[in-house]
Amino acid sequence: MVAPPDNAPPDNDVLWARSLHYSHDGSPALVEVSVAVRQGEILALTGPRGSGKTTLLRCLSGQLRPQQGEVWFNSVPVHTMGAVVRERLRRDRFGWIGHEPQLLPELKVWENAALPLLLAGASHRSARSAACEWLDRLDIGGFARKRPGALSRAECQRVALARALVNEPAVIFADEPTAPLHRTERALLLRALTTAARSHDVTVLLATHDEATAAVADRRIDLLDGRLAGAAIAASPVADTTEDQTACSLSA
Amino acid sequence: MLALRLARGSRPLVQLRRLLVAAASAGTGFLLLYVLAGAVAQPAGSFPRLLWALIPLAVTVHLAIVVARADPATQPREGLDAAGLGPLRLTLVAAISTAVACALGAALALAVFLHLRGDVAGLPFDGTGAELLHADQPLPVAGALTLLGLIPVTASAATALALRPHPPLAPQTGLPWGIALTACGLAVLAYAGRTGGGVLAGWSLTAVGLALAGPGLAYACGSLVQAVRPGALRLLAGRVLQQEAPRIGPPLGVLCSVAAGALTALALRDRGGLPVPLGPLTWPTALLVTLCAAATLLTSVVEARRGRESGRTALLDLGAPSNVLRSAASLRATALLAVCLPLSWGVAQLTSLALTR
Repeated sequence: MVAPPDNAPPDNDVLWARSLHYSHDGSPALVEVSVAVRQGEILALTGPRGSGKTTLLRCLSGQLRPQQGEVWFNSVPVHTMGAVVRERLRRDRFGWIGHEPQLLPELKVWENAALPLLLAGASHRSARSAACEWLDRLDIGGFARKRPGALSRAECQRVALARALVNEPAVIFADEPTAPLHRTERALLLRALTTAARSHDVTVLLATHDEATAAVADRRIDLLDGRLAGAAIAASPVADTTEDQTACSLSA
Repeated sequence: MLALRLARGSRPLVQLRRLLVAAASAGTGFLLLYVLAGAVAQPAGSFPRLLWALIPLAVTVHLAIVVARADPATQPREGLDAAGLGPLRLTLVAAISTAVACALGAALALAVFLHLRGDVAGLPFDGTGAELLHADQPLPVAGALTLLGLIPVTASAATALALRPHPPLAPQTGLPWGIALTACGLAVLAYAGRTGGGVLAGWSLTAVGLALAGPGLAYACGSLVQAVRPGALRLLAGRVLQQEAPRIGPPLGVLCSVAAGALTALALRDRGGLPVPLGPLTWPTALLVTLCAAATLLTSVVEARRGRESGRTALLDLGAPSNVLRSAASLRATALLAVCLPLSWGVAQLTSLALTR
């Protein structure tokens, strides 16, 4: 690995990003975003739809390479890594839960949960026991031999959580994980996620636009129009721009 | 009009597939016209020739169905559904665009056929075509149009039937029927010997049997690949094969039977006698059938791949190396080859034994 230069981030930050820029086909999604994530904390990224939460998570997790700026994971630069190294980093050190469960319909539930271990080359037996253990902890051990098609949305989302936890990652990226769920299921999933994170010292980045969901976090960062909220408000002509008030005038 | 607008806006690969359907339809149309002209000039023994010409027609219709199913324009889309164009009306769109492609091909076949006979403007190629295509006899207009119309009508009807919303069948259900029909076909070949009709009926039964057995075979292949403590590679390869079996099985079976037919022809050529049912156009027809069967299988594979797009993204999000996905694909191809080649060879051996006993 490249030796960390002088501007390397402080050691207690597990994930650190400086002045990230990213635009999707010319429309800016992230502008001058800097984030520092401490080891073991649960950090909420909040903001309305389209505020750049998903893009920030994808940049931090190495799925997207920022067009400008730096991302460091445990004092190792992620933004300079090649695609293959970033794939391996995602597989071995990161977990991902999206707003869709993204399970493979042809695999059984336990195989879906064990997929990161199997992809990393773990033996069938050890992958299976690790996956079943996590499924049991999340109260869906009974479905291990079924296909995802036979499960409800909330159960599928818990399988996705088990898949994110099975390789004991350093960081879990959760992109609106509770969006498709009802309130009781939402609370259950959040409790499962936070409990697992606390007990295994996993850092969690939780993107959400829901205040109740953001309340479980230790700290929160607000995004607005692709900028950190303070910067966005300073840059915006109207100081109190909120989602309700940004609707275009239909009478024009 | 909407069908044409949707067709016009699609990507080059999709247009290429439609072009393939038109080309297959042109080849089949030409063959049907040739058989018709032959029947007018020499009525004796023309009916078996017409029946032989139905094989390319069947293969063309199969290709048209698979291309229509893989066509993005016929997939239910949110934008179109919101505009009131649901799955049922999209089936209609698919049938119309299939009919247009086939009709274009048939019209091209008619033009080329008439030109080669010298009916349009002089004789090309020093008149070799005139003798082959029986230019001395006038072509019955009604008969020609009926035969050519057969292609777009059957293709669009079959497309509409295949694309109508219906629950999927389990792949294993076809296997017993397929084996039974293949055995029947071989028995017919053995009994009817080398009469033209017997060979045709036997081979058709074998082909239908293999097409029916195809999904079951592909499923069994997938089960074998993922059997006994699979790692990620075998798991992904085998399970995908099991899931895609209903889609790629039938074209695989058809290609197997075409390969069996080709191997039989080779074996028979070594032993002397080789039935040439369609006269000088037998080899071009065999080529047409083979290409159609191969194109059908490839199109099904492309369609299956597009159906797995979301699973692919999920795997890449997890950090699966893309070479694992590629190795899984080649493992699937190898497993299918390892089953299909011996199967075709075995059927070919049995057929040639039956025909030369």
